[in-house]
Amino acid sequence: MPPVAPTELRVEGLTKVFRKGVKAVDDLSFDVQPGRVTGFLGPNGSGKTTTLRCLLGLVTPTSGRALVGSHAYTAPPQPMSTVGASLEASGFHPGRSGRNHLRVVATTMGIADTRVDEVLHLVGLTPAARRRVVEYSLGMRQRLALAAALLADPPVLILDEPTNGLDPEGIAWLRAFLQERARQGGTVLVSSHLLSEVQQTVDDVVIIRKGSLVHAGPLSELGGDGAAPVVVRTPDPERLVDALGAGAQVTRRPDGAIVVTGASPAEVGHAAFLAGCELHELSAGMRDLERVFLELTGDQS
Amino acid sequence: MTGWGALLAAEWRKVTTTKMVWVLTLVAVALSTVNVVPTVLLASGTISGGVETLGEGQLQNPAFITTVLSQAGTGALFALILGVIAMTGEYRHMTITSTFLAEPRRGRVVTAKMVLYAGLGAAMAVVVVLAVAVATYATLLPFDHTPLTAAMVGRVFVGAVIGMALYAILGVSIGALIRSQVAAIIAVVVWVLLLEAIVSALLPAVAKWLPGGALSAAMDVGMRADMTGSFTTADVLPGWAAIGLLLVYAVVFAAIASRTTIRRDIT
Repeated sequence: MPPVAPTELRVEGLTKVFRKGVKAVDDLSFDVQPGRVTGFLGPNGSGKTTTLRCLLGLVTPTSGRALVGSHAYTAPPQPMSTVGASLEASGFHPGRSGRNHLRVVATTMGIADTRVDEVLHLVGLTPAARRRVVEYSLGMRQRLALAAALLADPPVLILDEPTNGLDPEGIAWLRAFLQERARQGGTVLVSSHLLSEVQQTVDDVVIIRKGSLVHAGPLSELGGDGAAPVVVRTPDPERLVDALGAGAQVTRRPDGAIVVTGASPAEVGHAAFLAGCELHELSAGMRDLERVFLELTGDQS
Repeated sequence: MTGWGALLAAEWRKVTTTKMVWVLTLVAVALSTVNVVPTVLLASGTISGGVETLGEGQLQNPAFITTVLSQAGTGALFALILGVIAMTGEYRHMTITSTFLAEPRRGRVVTAKMVLYAGLGAAMAVVVVLAVAVATYATLLPFDHTPLTAAMVGRVFVGAVIGMALYAILGVSIGALIRSQVAAIIAVVVWVLLLEAIVSALLPAVAKWLPGGALSAAMDVGMRADMTGSFTTADVLPGWAAIGLLLVYAVVFAAIASRTTIRRDIT
Protein backbone atom coordinates (compact mmCIF):
# COMPACT_ATOMS: atom_id res chain seq x y z
CA MET A 1 0.00 0.00 0.00
CA PRO A 2 1.44 3.40 -0.93
CA PRO A 3 2.36 5.82 1.82
CA VAL A 4 -0.80 7.90 1.72
CA ALA A 5 -2.25 9.76 4.68
CA PRO A 6 -5.11 7.84 6.30
CA THR A 7 -8.27 8.67 4.44
CA GLU A 8 -11.69 8.65 6.01
CA LEU A 9 -15.01 8.62 4.22
CA ARG A 10 -17.61 11.14 5.29
CA VAL A 11 -21.26 11.17 4.40
CA GLU A 12 -22.97 14.37 5.52
CA GLY A 13 -26.71 14.88 5.36
CA LEU A 14 -26.85 12.90 2.15
CA THR A 15 -30.22 12.83 0.42
CA LYS A 16 -30.99 11.37 -2.97
CA VAL A 17 -34.37 11.59 -4.61
CA PHE A 18 -34.49 9.91 -8.00
CA ARG A 19 -36.38 11.37 -10.88
CA LYS A 20 -39.41 9.19 -10.32
CA GLY A 21 -39.70 10.72 -6.86
CA VAL A 22 -38.22 7.74 -5.05
CA LYS A 23 -36.28 8.86 -1.99
CA ALA A 24 -33.43 6.35 -1.90
CA VAL A 25 -31.30 8.09 0.74
CA ASP A 26 -32.74 10.39 3.39
CA ASP A 27 -30.49 12.79 5.33
CA LEU A 28 -27.84 10.15 5.95
CA SER A 29 -24.66 10.97 7.89
CA PHE A 30 -21.84 8.69 8.99
CA ASP A 31 -18.05 8.42 8.98
CA VAL A 32 -15.87 5.51 7.95
CA GLN A 33 -12.55 5.39 9.77
CA PRO A 34 -9.21 4.25 8.39
CA GLY A 35 -7.61 1.23 10.01
CA ARG A 36 -10.94 -0.53 10.44
CA VAL A 37 -13.27 -2.63 8.36
CA THR A 38 -16.71 -1.06 8.30
CA GLY A 39 -19.81 -3.00 7.38
CA PHE A 40 -22.49 -0.99 5.57
CA LEU A 41 -25.66 -2.88 6.28
CA GLY A 42 -29.30 -2.73 5.41
CA PRO A 43 -31.95 -4.76 3.62
CA ASN A 44 -32.08 -4.81 -0.17
CA GLY A 45 -33.40 -1.50 -1.41
CA SER A 46 -32.43 0.42 1.72
CA GLY A 47 -30.15 2.81 -0.21
CA LYS A 48 -26.72 1.24 0.27
CA THR A 49 -25.75 1.13 -3.39
CA THR A 50 -27.05 4.65 -3.99
CA THR A 51 -24.96 5.93 -1.08
CA LEU A 52 -21.85 4.19 -2.41
CA ARG A 53 -22.49 5.56 -5.90
CA CYS A 54 -22.77 9.07 -4.41
CA LEU A 55 -19.42 8.53 -2.68
CA LEU A 56 -17.94 7.55 -6.05
CA GLY A 57 -19.32 10.47 -8.03
CA LEU A 58 -21.56 8.27 -10.17
CA VAL A 59 -24.77 9.61 -8.66
CA THR A 60 -25.28 13.30 -7.86
CA PRO A 61 -26.81 13.83 -4.42
CA THR A 62 -30.03 15.83 -4.22
CA SER A 63 -28.53 17.46 -1.13
CA GLY A 64 -25.72 16.81 1.30
CA ARG A 65 -22.23 15.56 0.56
CA ALA A 66 -20.26 12.36 0.33
CA LEU A 67 -16.53 12.92 0.70
CA VAL A 68 -13.34 10.94 0.34
CA GLY A 69 -10.96 12.59 2.77
CA SER A 70 -11.67 16.29 2.39
CA HIS A 71 -13.02 16.37 -1.13
CA ALA A 72 -15.42 14.74 -3.56
CA TYR A 73 -14.32 11.63 -5.45
CA THR A 74 -14.49 13.51 -8.72
CA ALA A 75 -12.20 16.36 -7.60
CA PRO A 76 -8.66 14.93 -7.96
CA PRO A 77 -7.42 13.98 -11.41
CA GLN A 78 -6.87 10.33 -10.61
CA PRO A 79 -9.30 9.18 -7.92
CA MET A 80 -8.73 5.45 -8.47
CA SER A 81 -5.28 5.79 -6.94
CA THR A 82 -7.03 6.75 -3.68
CA VAL A 83 -10.22 4.73 -3.86
CA GLY A 84 -10.72 1.29 -5.32
CA ALA A 85 -14.34 0.30 -5.81
CA SER A 86 -16.19 -2.78 -6.91
CA LEU A 87 -19.81 -1.97 -7.50
CA GLU A 88 -21.88 -4.65 -9.05
CA ALA A 89 -20.67 -7.73 -10.80
CA SER A 90 -22.21 -6.75 -14.13
CA GLY A 91 -20.04 -3.95 -15.49
CA PHE A 92 -18.02 -5.94 -17.99
CA HIS A 93 -18.16 -6.28 -21.75
CA PRO A 94 -19.11 -9.94 -22.19
CA GLY A 95 -16.83 -10.43 -25.18
CA ARG A 96 -13.75 -9.03 -23.49
CA SER A 97 -11.47 -11.25 -21.42
CA GLY A 98 -11.03 -10.53 -17.74
CA ARG A 99 -7.42 -9.59 -18.34
CA ASN A 100 -8.35 -7.21 -21.15
CA HIS A 101 -10.99 -5.56 -18.98
CA LEU A 102 -8.30 -4.80 -16.42
CA ARG A 103 -5.88 -3.66 -19.14
CA VAL A 104 -8.42 -1.08 -20.32
CA VAL A 105 -8.89 0.30 -16.80
CA ALA A 106 -5.14 0.19 -16.13
CA THR A 107 -4.38 2.10 -19.33
CA THR A 108 -6.54 5.04 -18.25
CA MET A 109 -4.49 5.25 -15.06
CA GLY A 110 -1.15 4.70 -16.74
CA ILE A 111 -0.65 1.42 -14.88
CA ALA A 112 1.52 -1.25 -16.50
CA ASP A 113 0.17 -4.61 -17.65
CA THR A 114 2.47 -6.37 -15.18
CA ARG A 115 0.30 -4.96 -12.39
CA VAL A 116 -2.75 -6.38 -14.17
CA ASP A 117 -1.23 -9.85 -13.95
CA GLU A 118 -0.36 -9.23 -10.29
CA VAL A 119 -3.91 -8.40 -9.26
CA LEU A 120 -5.26 -11.30 -11.33
CA HIS A 121 -2.96 -13.58 -9.37
CA LEU A 122 -3.92 -11.92 -6.09
CA VAL A 123 -7.64 -12.64 -6.58
CA GLY A 124 -6.99 -16.12 -7.98
CA LEU A 125 -8.17 -15.43 -11.53
CA THR A 126 -4.93 -16.19 -13.37
CA PRO A 127 -6.20 -19.47 -14.89
CA ALA A 128 -9.29 -17.70 -16.32
CA ALA A 129 -7.56 -14.42 -17.20
CA ARG A 130 -7.79 -14.87 -20.95
CA ARG A 131 -11.31 -16.25 -21.05
CA ARG A 132 -14.17 -14.02 -22.06
CA VAL A 133 -16.17 -12.58 -19.18
CA VAL A 134 -19.38 -14.09 -20.62
CA GLU A 135 -18.02 -17.46 -19.47
CA TYR A 136 -17.37 -16.25 -15.91
CA SER A 137 -19.42 -17.34 -12.90
CA LEU A 138 -20.81 -14.72 -10.53
CA GLY A 139 -17.98 -15.47 -8.11
CA MET A 140 -15.38 -14.95 -10.84
CA ARG A 141 -16.97 -11.63 -11.77
CA GLN A 142 -16.74 -10.60 -8.12
CA ARG A 143 -13.06 -11.47 -8.14
CA LEU A 144 -12.54 -9.52 -11.35
CA ALA A 145 -14.30 -6.47 -9.91
CA LEU A 146 -12.10 -6.71 -6.82
CA ALA A 147 -9.00 -7.01 -9.01
CA ALA A 148 -9.99 -3.77 -10.79
CA ALA A 149 -10.41 -2.03 -7.43
CA LEU A 150 -6.92 -3.12 -6.40
CA LEU A 151 -5.13 -2.03 -9.58
CA ALA A 152 -3.70 1.17 -8.13
CA ASP A 153 -3.28 -0.37 -4.65
CA PRO A 154 -5.45 2.38 -3.15
CA PRO A 155 -5.69 3.13 0.60
CA VAL A 156 -9.50 3.10 0.44
CA LEU A 157 -11.64 0.16 -0.68
CA ILE A 158 -15.38 0.42 -1.28
CA LEU A 159 -16.96 -2.93 -2.03
CA ASP A 160 -20.66 -3.42 -2.74
CA GLU A 161 -21.90 -6.85 -1.67
CA PRO A 162 -18.49 -8.42 -2.38
CA THR A 163 -19.43 -11.80 -0.92
CA ASN A 164 -22.31 -12.35 -3.38
CA GLY A 165 -21.55 -15.44 -5.39
CA LEU A 166 -18.28 -16.18 -3.60
CA ASP A 167 -17.73 -19.71 -2.36
CA PRO A 168 -16.89 -20.24 1.36
CA GLU A 169 -13.18 -20.34 0.59
CA GLY A 170 -13.44 -17.07 -1.29
CA ILE A 171 -15.34 -15.45 1.57
CA ALA A 172 -12.69 -16.61 4.07
CA TRP A 173 -9.93 -15.30 1.82
CA LEU A 174 -11.69 -11.95 1.37
CA ARG A 175 -12.21 -11.65 5.13
CA ALA A 176 -8.51 -12.14 5.86
CA PHE A 177 -7.53 -9.86 2.99
CA LEU A 178 -9.76 -6.96 4.08
CA GLN A 179 -8.70 -7.25 7.71
CA GLU A 180 -5.08 -7.11 6.63
CA ARG A 181 -5.75 -3.98 4.52
CA ALA A 182 -7.33 -2.33 7.57
CA ARG A 183 -4.48 -3.41 9.82
CA GLN A 184 -2.09 -1.64 7.46
CA GLY A 185 -4.07 1.56 7.87
CA GLY A 186 -6.43 1.19 4.94
CA THR A 187 -10.06 2.24 4.96
CA VAL A 188 -12.46 -0.55 4.05
CA LEU A 189 -16.20 -0.15 3.52
CA VAL A 190 -18.12 -3.32 2.70
CA SER A 191 -21.85 -3.38 2.08
CA SER A 192 -24.09 -6.34 2.69
CA HIS A 193 -27.75 -7.05 3.24
CA LEU A 194 -26.84 -9.82 5.67
CA LEU A 195 -25.06 -9.10 8.91
CA SER A 196 -23.99 -12.73 9.14
CA GLU A 197 -22.05 -12.42 5.87
CA VAL A 198 -19.73 -9.77 7.27
CA GLN A 199 -20.09 -10.26 11.02
CA GLN A 200 -16.72 -11.95 11.34
CA THR A 201 -15.02 -9.39 9.10
CA VAL A 202 -16.09 -5.97 10.31
CA ASP A 203 -14.99 -3.81 13.22
CA ASP A 204 -17.65 -1.14 12.78
CA VAL A 205 -21.15 -1.21 11.42
CA VAL A 206 -23.29 1.41 9.73
CA ILE A 207 -26.87 0.19 9.52
CA ILE A 208 -29.48 1.93 7.40
CA ARG A 209 -33.12 1.34 6.78
CA LYS A 210 -35.17 3.04 4.08
CA GLY A 211 -32.31 5.41 3.39
CA SER A 212 -31.91 6.59 6.98
CA LEU A 213 -29.30 5.76 9.58
CA VAL A 214 -30.47 3.45 12.35
CA HIS A 215 -27.14 2.63 13.96
CA ALA A 216 -23.45 3.43 13.56
CA GLY A 217 -20.64 2.30 15.81
CA PRO A 218 -18.40 -0.61 16.71
CA LEU A 219 -19.89 -4.04 16.10
CA SER A 220 -19.24 -4.89 19.74
CA GLU A 221 -21.73 -2.22 20.80
CA LEU A 222 -24.48 -3.62 18.64
CA GLY A 223 -27.14 -5.27 20.75
CA GLY A 224 -26.83 -3.08 23.85
CA ASP A 225 -24.80 -4.43 26.78
CA GLY A 226 -23.20 -7.07 24.61
CA ALA A 227 -24.41 -9.92 26.81
CA ALA A 228 -24.78 -12.57 24.17
CA PRO A 229 -27.14 -15.43 24.99
CA VAL A 230 -25.86 -18.95 25.34
CA VAL A 231 -27.62 -21.77 23.56
CA VAL A 232 -27.53 -25.12 25.34
CA ARG A 233 -28.88 -28.53 24.48
CA THR A 234 -29.08 -31.22 27.08
CA PRO A 235 -31.17 -34.37 27.64
CA ASP A 236 -31.74 -33.22 31.24
CA PRO A 237 -32.85 -29.56 31.08
CA GLU A 238 -34.35 -29.47 34.60
CA ARG A 239 -31.04 -30.33 36.21
CA LEU A 240 -29.21 -27.68 34.22
CA VAL A 241 -31.75 -24.98 35.08
CA ASP A 242 -31.39 -25.86 38.78
CA ALA A 243 -27.62 -25.78 38.46
CA LEU A 244 -27.56 -22.36 36.86
CA GLY A 245 -29.27 -20.75 39.83
CA ALA A 246 -31.12 -17.46 39.97
CA GLY A 247 -28.49 -15.27 38.27
CA ALA A 248 -29.35 -16.44 34.79
CA GLN A 249 -32.57 -16.06 32.83
CA VAL A 250 -33.61 -19.19 31.01
CA THR A 251 -36.00 -19.54 28.14
CA ARG A 252 -36.87 -22.70 26.30
CA ARG A 253 -37.12 -22.77 22.59
CA PRO A 254 -39.71 -24.93 20.81
CA ASP A 255 -36.93 -27.08 19.36
CA GLY A 256 -35.85 -28.07 22.87
CA ALA A 257 -32.81 -25.84 23.16
CA ILE A 258 -32.35 -23.71 26.24
CA VAL A 259 -31.36 -20.09 25.80
CA VAL A 260 -29.49 -18.65 28.76
CA THR A 261 -28.88 -14.94 29.23
CA GLY A 262 -26.86 -13.38 32.03
CA ALA A 263 -24.15 -16.02 32.00
CA SER A 264 -21.16 -16.60 29.78
CA PRO A 265 -20.67 -19.90 27.90
CA ALA A 266 -17.84 -20.71 30.35
CA GLU A 267 -20.13 -20.18 33.34
CA VAL A 268 -22.88 -22.30 31.83
CA GLY A 269 -20.42 -25.05 30.95
CA HIS A 270 -18.92 -24.97 34.44
CA ALA A 271 -22.32 -25.18 36.10
CA ALA A 272 -23.27 -28.11 33.89
CA PHE A 273 -20.01 -29.87 34.68
CA LEU A 274 -20.46 -29.47 38.44
CA ALA A 275 -24.01 -30.74 38.20
CA GLY A 276 -22.90 -33.72 36.14
CA CYS A 277 -25.27 -32.66 33.38
CA GLU A 278 -24.67 -34.07 29.90
CA LEU A 279 -24.45 -31.37 27.18
CA HIS A 280 -25.08 -31.83 23.45
CA GLU A 281 -24.52 -28.23 22.46
CA LEU A 282 -23.05 -25.17 24.09
CA SER A 283 -22.71 -22.16 21.86
CA ALA A 284 -22.37 -18.43 22.22
CA GLY A 285 -25.34 -16.91 20.46
CA MET A 286 -24.20 -14.56 17.74
CA ARG A 287 -27.78 -15.13 16.60
CA ASP A 288 -28.68 -12.33 18.90
CA LEU A 289 -26.91 -9.83 16.65
CA GLU A 290 -28.89 -11.02 13.69
CA ARG A 291 -32.05 -10.50 15.72
CA VAL A 292 -30.93 -6.99 16.71
CA PHE A 293 -30.14 -6.32 13.07
CA LEU A 294 -33.53 -7.53 11.94
CA GLU A 295 -35.26 -5.46 14.60
CA LEU A 296 -33.31 -2.38 13.52
CA THR A 297 -33.98 -2.84 9.86
CA GLY A 298 -37.32 -4.61 9.81
CA ASP A 299 -40.68 -3.21 8.86
CA GLN A 300 -42.41 -4.08 12.11
CA SER A 301 -41.11 -1.05 14.00
CA MET B 1 -2.32 12.15 -14.06
CA THR B 2 -4.85 11.09 -16.59
CA GLY B 3 -3.73 12.76 -19.77
CA TRP B 4 -5.36 12.66 -23.14
CA GLY B 5 -2.79 10.10 -24.26
CA ALA B 6 -3.86 7.68 -21.55
CA LEU B 7 -7.54 8.22 -22.33
CA LEU B 8 -7.00 7.63 -26.04
CA ALA B 9 -4.88 4.57 -25.32
CA ALA B 10 -7.63 3.17 -23.10
CA GLU B 11 -10.24 3.78 -25.81
CA TRP B 12 -7.98 2.09 -28.34
CA ARG B 13 -7.70 -0.94 -26.08
CA LYS B 14 -11.48 -1.10 -25.80
CA VAL B 15 -11.57 -1.28 -29.60
CA THR B 16 -8.89 -3.93 -30.00
CA THR B 17 -10.32 -6.18 -27.29
CA THR B 18 -13.72 -6.64 -28.94
CA LYS B 19 -14.74 -7.61 -32.47
CA MET B 20 -17.17 -4.76 -33.08
CA VAL B 21 -14.99 -2.69 -35.43
CA TRP B 22 -13.99 -5.65 -37.59
CA VAL B 23 -17.56 -6.88 -37.93
CA LEU B 24 -18.89 -3.45 -38.87
CA THR B 25 -16.08 -2.88 -41.38
CA LEU B 26 -16.81 -6.23 -42.97
CA VAL B 27 -20.50 -5.39 -43.30
CA ALA B 28 -19.64 -1.95 -44.70
CA VAL B 29 -17.34 -3.53 -47.30
CA ALA B 30 -19.96 -6.10 -48.27
CA LEU B 31 -22.78 -3.60 -48.67
CA SER B 32 -20.62 -1.06 -50.51
CA THR B 33 -19.28 -3.53 -53.07
CA VAL B 34 -22.46 -5.52 -53.60
CA ASN B 35 -23.89 -2.98 -56.04
CA VAL B 36 -20.74 -2.54 -58.08
CA VAL B 37 -21.04 -5.69 -60.15
CA PRO B 38 -24.71 -5.37 -61.21
CA THR B 39 -24.30 -1.65 -61.93
CA VAL B 40 -21.38 -2.24 -64.29
CA LEU B 41 -23.02 -5.27 -65.90
CA LEU B 42 -26.21 -3.30 -66.53
CA ALA B 43 -24.24 -0.49 -68.11
CA SER B 44 -22.28 -2.91 -70.25
CA GLY B 45 -25.46 -4.44 -71.59
CA THR B 46 -24.37 -7.88 -70.36
CA ILE B 47 -27.52 -8.09 -68.36
CA SER B 48 -30.66 -6.11 -68.82
CA GLY B 49 -32.59 -4.51 -66.04
CA GLY B 50 -35.63 -2.33 -65.82
CA VAL B 51 -33.63 0.76 -66.70
CA GLU B 52 -33.22 0.38 -70.42
CA THR B 53 -31.59 3.74 -70.91
CA LEU B 54 -28.60 2.85 -68.77
CA GLY B 55 -26.99 1.70 -71.99
CA GLU B 56 -23.56 0.64 -73.10
CA GLY B 57 -22.32 4.11 -73.73
CA GLN B 58 -22.08 4.76 -70.02
CA LEU B 59 -18.88 2.75 -69.69
CA GLN B 60 -17.22 5.50 -71.74
CA ASN B 61 -18.49 8.16 -69.34
CA PRO B 62 -15.96 9.06 -66.58
CA ALA B 63 -18.80 10.42 -64.45
CA PHE B 64 -20.43 7.00 -64.52
CA ILE B 65 -17.24 5.34 -63.27
CA THR B 66 -17.00 7.92 -60.49
CA THR B 67 -20.57 7.16 -59.51
CA VAL B 68 -19.80 3.45 -59.29
CA LEU B 69 -16.82 4.25 -57.06
CA SER B 70 -18.96 6.49 -54.93
CA GLN B 71 -20.82 3.37 -53.76
CA ALA B 72 -18.18 3.59 -51.05
CA GLY B 73 -20.45 6.22 -49.54
CA THR B 74 -22.69 3.38 -48.36
CA GLY B 75 -20.01 2.83 -45.72
CA ALA B 76 -20.85 6.15 -44.06
CA LEU B 77 -23.89 4.65 -42.34
CA PHE B 78 -21.60 2.10 -40.74
CA ALA B 79 -19.17 4.75 -39.57
CA LEU B 80 -22.16 6.42 -37.94
CA ILE B 81 -23.25 3.15 -36.32
CA LEU B 82 -19.65 2.53 -35.24
CA GLY B 83 -19.66 5.77 -33.27
CA VAL B 84 -23.12 5.08 -31.84
CA ILE B 85 -22.11 1.61 -30.62
CA ALA B 86 -18.84 2.94 -29.17
CA MET B 87 -20.73 5.22 -26.82
CA THR B 88 -23.94 3.28 -26.15
CA GLY B 89 -22.06 0.02 -25.64
CA GLU B 90 -20.61 1.49 -22.45
CA TYR B 91 -24.11 1.97 -21.10
CA ARG B 92 -25.39 -1.32 -22.42
CA HIS B 93 -22.70 -3.37 -20.71
CA MET B 94 -22.38 -0.95 -17.78
CA THR B 95 -18.68 -0.56 -18.45
CA ILE B 96 -19.50 3.14 -18.16
CA THR B 97 -19.20 2.61 -14.39
CA SER B 98 -15.53 1.66 -14.52
CA THR B 99 -14.89 4.18 -17.29
CA PHE B 100 -16.23 7.06 -15.17
CA LEU B 101 -14.57 5.73 -12.02
CA ALA B 102 -11.23 5.89 -13.81
CA GLU B 103 -11.98 9.28 -15.39
CA PRO B 104 -14.76 11.18 -13.59
CA ARG B 105 -14.45 14.13 -15.96
CA ARG B 106 -17.08 12.69 -18.23
CA GLY B 107 -16.78 15.22 -21.02
CA ARG B 108 -13.16 14.17 -21.53
CA VAL B 109 -14.25 10.56 -22.03
CA VAL B 110 -16.72 11.57 -24.74
CA THR B 111 -14.16 13.85 -26.39
CA ALA B 112 -11.51 11.12 -26.40
CA LYS B 113 -14.00 8.77 -28.03
CA MET B 114 -14.84 11.35 -30.69
CA VAL B 115 -11.16 11.80 -31.53
CA LEU B 116 -10.36 8.10 -31.65
CA TYR B 117 -13.46 7.16 -33.62
CA ALA B 118 -12.75 9.87 -36.17
CA GLY B 119 -9.59 7.91 -36.87
CA LEU B 120 -11.44 4.61 -36.96
CA GLY B 121 -14.09 6.03 -39.29
CA ALA B 122 -11.30 7.18 -41.60
CA ALA B 123 -9.61 3.78 -41.42
CA MET B 124 -12.91 2.09 -42.23
CA ALA B 125 -13.20 4.41 -45.25
CA VAL B 126 -9.75 3.37 -46.49
CA VAL B 127 -10.75 -0.30 -46.43
CA VAL B 128 -14.15 0.33 -48.02
CA VAL B 129 -12.81 2.53 -50.85
CA LEU B 130 -10.04 0.08 -51.67
CA ALA B 131 -12.55 -2.78 -51.77
CA VAL B 132 -14.91 -0.82 -54.02
CA ALA B 133 -12.05 0.26 -56.32
CA VAL B 134 -10.81 -3.32 -56.69
CA ALA B 135 -14.34 -4.60 -57.32
CA THR B 136 -14.94 -1.88 -59.92
CA TYR B 137 -11.64 -2.50 -61.66
CA ALA B 138 -12.23 -6.25 -61.79
CA THR B 139 -15.78 -5.94 -63.09
CA LEU B 140 -14.77 -3.46 -65.81
CA LEU B 141 -11.90 -5.64 -67.08
CA PRO B 142 -13.80 -7.63 -69.73
CA PHE B 143 -15.39 -4.52 -71.23
CA ASP B 144 -14.31 -1.63 -73.39
CA HIS B 145 -14.43 1.30 -70.98
CA THR B 146 -12.95 4.66 -70.21
CA PRO B 147 -9.91 4.19 -67.96
CA LEU B 148 -10.39 3.91 -64.22
CA THR B 149 -7.86 6.49 -63.12
CA ALA B 150 -6.05 7.04 -59.86
CA ALA B 151 -7.52 10.53 -59.83
CA MET B 152 -11.07 9.13 -59.79
CA VAL B 153 -10.26 6.77 -56.94
CA GLY B 154 -8.33 9.49 -55.14
CA ARG B 155 -11.25 11.88 -55.21
CA VAL B 156 -13.67 9.31 -53.76
CA PHE B 157 -10.96 8.21 -51.32
CA VAL B 158 -10.40 11.68 -49.86
CA GLY B 159 -14.12 12.31 -49.68
CA ALA B 160 -14.88 8.99 -47.97
CA VAL B 161 -12.08 9.39 -45.43
CA ILE B 162 -13.26 12.86 -44.43
CA GLY B 163 -16.94 11.98 -44.56
CA MET B 164 -16.71 8.75 -42.58
CA ALA B 165 -14.42 10.31 -39.96
CA LEU B 166 -17.03 13.02 -39.45
CA TYR B 167 -19.89 10.52 -39.39
CA ALA B 168 -18.12 8.44 -36.72
CA ILE B 169 -17.76 11.58 -34.58
CA LEU B 170 -21.43 12.34 -35.16
CA GLY B 171 -22.27 8.77 -34.11
CA VAL B 172 -20.43 9.13 -30.79
CA SER B 173 -22.26 12.37 -30.03
CA ILE B 174 -25.65 10.86 -30.91
CA GLY B 175 -24.82 7.82 -28.75
CA ALA B 176 -23.93 10.10 -25.85
CA LEU B 177 -27.25 11.86 -26.28
CA ILE B 178 -29.49 8.80 -26.63
CA ARG B 179 -27.54 6.26 -24.47
CA SER B 180 -29.88 3.36 -25.30
CA GLN B 181 -28.09 1.33 -27.97
CA VAL B 182 -31.17 -0.07 -29.66
CA ALA B 183 -32.94 3.30 -29.70
CA ALA B 184 -29.86 5.11 -31.01
CA ILE B 185 -29.22 2.63 -33.83
CA ILE B 186 -32.86 2.67 -34.87
CA ALA B 187 -32.79 6.47 -34.78
CA VAL B 188 -29.76 6.81 -37.07
CA VAL B 189 -30.90 4.11 -39.50
CA VAL B 190 -34.39 5.60 -39.81
CA TRP B 191 -32.84 9.04 -40.15
CA VAL B 192 -30.32 8.11 -42.84
CA LEU B 193 -32.36 5.64 -44.87
CA LEU B 194 -35.83 7.11 -44.50
CA LEU B 195 -36.15 10.68 -43.29
CA GLU B 196 -33.21 12.14 -45.20
CA ALA B 197 -34.31 10.36 -48.35
CA ILE B 198 -37.79 11.85 -48.02
CA VAL B 199 -36.54 15.36 -47.29
CA SER B 200 -33.98 15.14 -50.06
CA ALA B 201 -36.69 14.16 -52.56
CA LEU B 202 -39.23 16.75 -51.45
CA LEU B 203 -37.14 19.64 -50.17
CA PRO B 204 -33.64 19.49 -51.69
CA ALA B 205 -32.93 23.06 -50.53
CA VAL B 206 -33.38 21.90 -46.93
CA ALA B 207 -31.72 18.53 -47.42
CA LYS B 208 -28.35 20.03 -48.23
CA TRP B 209 -28.23 21.45 -44.69
CA LEU B 210 -28.94 18.06 -43.10
CA PRO B 211 -26.10 15.70 -42.08
CA GLY B 212 -26.66 13.49 -45.11
CA GLY B 213 -26.57 16.43 -47.51
CA ALA B 214 -23.45 17.74 -45.84
CA LEU B 215 -21.95 14.28 -46.03
CA SER B 216 -22.53 14.12 -49.79
CA ALA B 217 -20.87 17.49 -50.17
CA ALA B 218 -18.01 16.59 -47.85
CA MET B 219 -17.42 13.42 -49.83
CA ASP B 220 -17.24 15.66 -52.88
CA VAL B 221 -19.14 13.21 -54.99
CA GLY B 222 -21.22 15.97 -56.44
CA MET B 223 -22.30 13.93 -59.41
CA ARG B 224 -25.26 11.67 -59.00
CA ALA B 225 -26.96 9.49 -61.53
CA ASP B 226 -30.65 10.05 -61.65
CA MET B 227 -33.03 7.35 -62.74
CA THR B 228 -32.72 8.26 -66.42
CA GLY B 229 -29.00 7.74 -66.40
CA SER B 230 -28.12 11.33 -67.07
CA PHE B 231 -25.82 13.05 -64.63
CA THR B 232 -26.48 16.25 -62.82
CA THR B 233 -24.51 18.18 -60.33
CA ALA B 234 -26.39 17.79 -57.09
CA ASP B 235 -27.34 20.87 -55.14
CA VAL B 236 -24.86 20.65 -52.27
CA LEU B 237 -22.81 22.96 -50.04
CA PRO B 238 -19.17 23.71 -50.84
CA GLY B 239 -16.88 21.00 -49.44
CA TRP B 240 -15.33 22.97 -46.58
CA ALA B 241 -18.67 24.38 -45.50
CA ALA B 242 -20.08 20.86 -45.45
CA ILE B 243 -17.20 19.58 -43.30
CA GLY B 244 -17.72 22.49 -40.93
CA LEU B 245 -21.46 21.82 -40.81
CA LEU B 246 -20.94 18.15 -39.91
CA LEU B 247 -18.52 19.16 -37.15
CA VAL B 248 -21.07 21.65 -35.87
CA TYR B 249 -23.73 18.91 -35.76
CA ALA B 250 -21.37 16.63 -33.81
CA VAL B 251 -20.28 19.37 -31.38
CA VAL B 252 -23.86 20.52 -30.81
CA PHE B 253 -25.08 16.98 -30.09
CA ALA B 254 -22.10 16.34 -27.82
CA ALA B 255 -22.61 19.67 -26.03
CA ILE B 256 -26.29 18.91 -25.43
CA ALA B 257 -25.34 15.42 -24.25
CA SER B 258 -22.70 16.70 -21.85
CA ARG B 259 -25.26 19.03 -20.28
CA THR B 260 -27.98 16.40 -20.09
CA THR B 261 -27.60 12.65 -20.58
CA ILE B 262 -23.89 12.37 -19.82
CA ARG B 263 -24.42 14.08 -16.47
CA ARG B 264 -27.14 11.69 -15.45
CA ASP B 265 -26.73 9.28 -12.58
CA ILE B 266 -25.03 6.00 -13.36
CA THR B 267 -27.13 3.47 -11.50
